[in-house]
Amino acid sequence: MTLRGGYDVILAGRPDKTLSPMPDPDTLYLPRKTRRFHFTDVRVKDGNAVGQGDALATDPANFSVPLLAPRAGKVVYDPTAPYITLADLAKTPAQVQPADAAAPLPHVARAMGDGGRSRHRLLSLGAWEYFYDAYTAALPDPFGVCQAVIVSTVALEPFVARGDAQLGGKLLNFTRGLEHLQSLLEYQPIYLVMPDIHSPLATQVREQIRGNAWVKLVEIPPRYPFDSFSVLARHLGIRRSAGPVWCLRAEGVLAVDQALTGGRPCLTRIVAVGGPPVSSPRHYEVLPGHPLTDLAARLGLGSNVRLLDGGALTGQKAELSDKNGVDPACRGLTALTEQTDREFLGFVRPGADRRSYAACFLSTLRGRFSEKLTTGMRGEPRPCIGCNFCEEVCPAGILPYLIHKHLYADQIDEAAGARVDLCVECGLCSFVCPCKIELMQQFIDAKVVIAREKAEAEAAAAKAAAEEAARAAAVQESR
Amino acid sequence: MKIIRKVFDGLKPHFEAGGRFKTFKAVYEALDNFFFAPSSRTPNAPHLRDPLDLKRYMSMVIVGLAPALLAALYLNGPRLLAMIIVSYMAGGAVEVAFAAIRKKEIHEGFLVTGLIFPMVLPGALPLWMVAVGVAFGVFVGKELFGGVGRNVFNPAIVARCFLALAYPRAMSGGYVAPGGPGRLLEWVGLDAVSGATPLGLAKQGAWMDVPLLDMFLGRIAGSAAETSTLAILIGGGFLLMTRVANWRTVAAVLGSAAVMALMLCDGLTEVAWQLCAGGLMFGAFFMATDPVTSAATGLGKVVYGVIIGVVVMLIRNFTGYVEGVMFAILLGNIVAPVIDEILYKVRFRRLQIEG
Repeated sequence: MTLRGGYDVILAGRPDKTLSPMPDPDTLYLPRKTRRFHFTDVRVKDGNAVGQGDALATDPANFSVPLLAPRAGKVVYDPTAPYITLADLAKTPAQVQPADAAAPLPHVARAMGDGGRSRHRLLSLGAWEYFYDAYTAALPDPFGVCQAVIVSTVALEPFVARGDAQLGGKLLNFTRGLEHLQSLLEYQPIYLVMPDIHSPLATQVREQIRGNAWVKLVEIPPRYPFDSFSVLARHLGIRRSAGPVWCLRAEGVLAVDQALTGGRPCLTRIVAVGGPPVSSPRHYEVLPGHPLTDLAARLGLGSNVRLLDGGALTGQKAELSDKNGVDPACRGLTALTEQTDREFLGFVRPGADRRSYAACFLSTLRGRFSEKLTTGMRGEPRPCIGCNFCEEVCPAGILPYLIHKHLYADQIDEAAGARVDLCVECGLCSFVCPCKIELMQQFIDAKVVIAREKAEAEAAAAKAAAEEAARAAAVQESR
Repeated sequence: MKIIRKVFDGLKPHFEAGGRFKTFKAVYEALDNFFFAPSSRTPNAPHLRDPLDLKRYMSMVIVGLAPALLAALYLNGPRLLAMIIVSYMAGGAVEVAFAAIRKKEIHEGFLVTGLIFPMVLPGALPLWMVAVGVAFGVFVGKELFGGVGRNVFNPAIVARCFLALAYPRAMSGGYVAPGGPGRLLEWVGLDAVSGATPLGLAKQGAWMDVPLLDMFLGRIAGSAAETSTLAILIGGGFLLMTRVANWRTVAAVLGSAAVMALMLCDGLTEVAWQLCAGGLMFGAFFMATDPVTSAATGLGKVVYGVIIGVVVMLIRNFTGYVEGVMFAILLGNIVAPVIDEILYKVRFRRLQIEG
C-alpha cells in the first residue's frame, strides 16, 4: 500500500532536542490502570520497603508484565485507590545491580534456552512494555514468534518524544539494541523506519549496522500519521493474517539494550513536554508516577490549561490532581489552553493567524507557521455535508463519512463491512471535519461493539458445537 | 461589540423555556452564534480542531459568488437585489418554521441556497414567483428529506425546476437585455425585456449573431448572474483554490461538455461559444459542486460530472429545450448515490485484499 492521506498540525510550543532531567518528587503515585495495562496482581503490602526496580504489581492479562518501582521507597497501598503510592523515596538513584542471572526462570522461558532467558529478562526488567503489535497495538506474546519487527525512530505527532532527542549520544546503545533484537529472531526482517535515510544520523546508523543484512532501512515522508505502526505495517506489505508484528520505537531499542547489555531495569521515561502554554518546551526524563500537579507547577502551567497524556491528536485528557501520576507508558505531555472567550464575528475574519486544512483563510498565503490552538471546538456541530476532507486525510484508506452515516443510522454491520476496523485512530478526520463530528470517538466505540458482538457470536457458535458434539456422543452411547 | 453582547444577553430570557418567544429559540441561537463564535470545548480526542466551520465554509461560497453577482448588478440593474431579499425572506421563513417545529438549530446551508436561487432566474421574474419558488425548493428539496446534509437534490435547482414547469412563459420570457453602467440605477421590469437568449438563437442555427467576446463578458440576455463567464471564472477559481468546490467535478463537467461540443458542432470557436452559453459555467462551478448532492468519492465525482456535461449537450442539441443544465444537474443528483454505491463496493474489495 502506498502511503496516502495525512496532514501536519503545526502547533506552537514544539519541544527542542535538549534532554533535561526532571527533579524527583517526594512521592510517586503509580497508576494501577494505565492506557495499556491493568495491574491487578499487587505483589507488595502496605508499609513494605521496596528496592529500586522491584516489581510492585503485575498485569495477569498481559503476560504478567510488571509495574516496577522507579526508586527505592516505602509502599503506601490502599486497595480502593487507583494507584500505588511510593513514599520516602531514596534521594539518589541506587547503584544499578545487574539482574540475578541465576534467578529461576518460568517453564516457557527455560524451554527456549538462551532466547528464553533474554525474553524473560526483557519482560521482568520492564523493556517488554515498549513492544506493540502492529495491528492491535496490544502487548505481543514475549515467548511467541513474530513475522517481522518494525523499529521506528520517527514520532510525528505534536508532541511525543522524538527519535532525535533520544538517540543523541546514544547511537552505540541503539545499534547494540538492534543486535540484541536480532538475536531474539530467527530469520525475520527488522525494518528500521527513518524520516530521511540520507541524513547524518541515518548515515551513522548505517555505518554502525553495516554488514547486518537483516536490518532494512525504510524512508517515509515526515507527515503525520505515517509513523503509526499499523500504517507502516500495511505500507510494508505485512499481512495481518501472517502472525504478529513486533513494533517498537527508538526508546524501545534503547530499553532492550539497557536490559540485555547491563541487565538493568528500565525505570525512567523520556517525555516530550510541549504546547502553546508551555514556556520552555523540551524533553524531560521523568519517573513514572510523578504527580502531574507537581509537573505542571514546575513547568509553570497556569490554571486554565488542559494537560493531555500523549500528543495533541490522540492524547487523552489527564486529570490534574495531586494523586494522579505520570502513566508508565507516557511518551509526551501536551498542554492546551482552555477556550473561554467567544470571538466576535469569528467566521468572517481574514484569518492570517489560523491555519486550516482547506485553504479558507488568509494564512494560506503565509506558508508554514506554528499556531496557538486551544481546546475550542471552533464551530457548531452540524450534519455531515459530504465535503470529503475526512477521506482525503485518512491514512487507512477507509471512508470516515460513510462509516459515520452507517453508525448514525445504527447499522453496525454495514460499518463493519466498510472496514471500520482498519481505522488507525489518528484523529485527523475529527480534526479536519468542518461539521465538527466526533468521528474518531464514534469509530473507537464502534470497534468495541463489533469486537464484543464477534466474541459473543464465536462463544455462541462454540457452545452450539459443544452441545452438538455432546448430543452426538450421547446418541453414539445409546446405540 | 460589547453593546451587541449586552443586547443578546438582555434578550436571552425571552427565548428560554417559559419566555415570550420560546418558539423562536432557534433564531436567537443562530443570531447569537452568528455574531459570537460559541466557546464550546472539545469533549474527546483530538482535543484541538481545525478552525474551519460550516459558517466559514458557506461564506466561502458566497465570496465565490460575489463576482458573478457584481457583474449581474452592472448588467441587469438593482432588481436582482430585491429578488435576493425576497428569496432570503421567503426561504428563511420556511427554514425557521422547520427549525422551530423540529426544535433543531438553523443551519448555514440556506445562506447559499437563498443567494444562488435568484441568481439563476430570469432578471424580470415577478417577485412573488421568486418567493413561491424558493419556498417550494427549501420545503420539498431540502426539509422533506431531513434538512441540510440529507437532501438528494440541490434545493435551488428543485426551486428553479418547479418554476420552469409551473410558469413556463414567465421563465422563458423574463430575460433582460444587458445594459451599460447606467443600469446600476435602473429598475428593469417586465416591460423592458428582450426575448431571445443566445441559445435560443443557436437553436435556429444563428449562433454567429452573438460574438464570442460578448458571451465571455456577459453582454447577452440570460438568467441574472449566469451570463458573465469571466466573473464566474474568477469566483469559481477562488472556490477551487479554497478546496470548497472540488476540481474533479468542475473539470469533468466542462471537459465532457467540450468533447461533446467538439463532436456535435464545427470549429473550436463554436465549442468555446457553447461553453460560455447558458448556465453551463455557473452550473459547473456553483451548482454541480454542492458537496451534499454530488457524488462523494473522487472517481464518482468525475463520473457524475461527465454525466452532467454530456446530458447538457444532448439536451441542447437533440431536444425541444433550449437549455438543459438544470435537468442535467437534477439527473446527476439522481445517479450520484448509485455511482457512489458501486465505487464503495470496489473500494471495499480492494481493502479486503490489502488488509
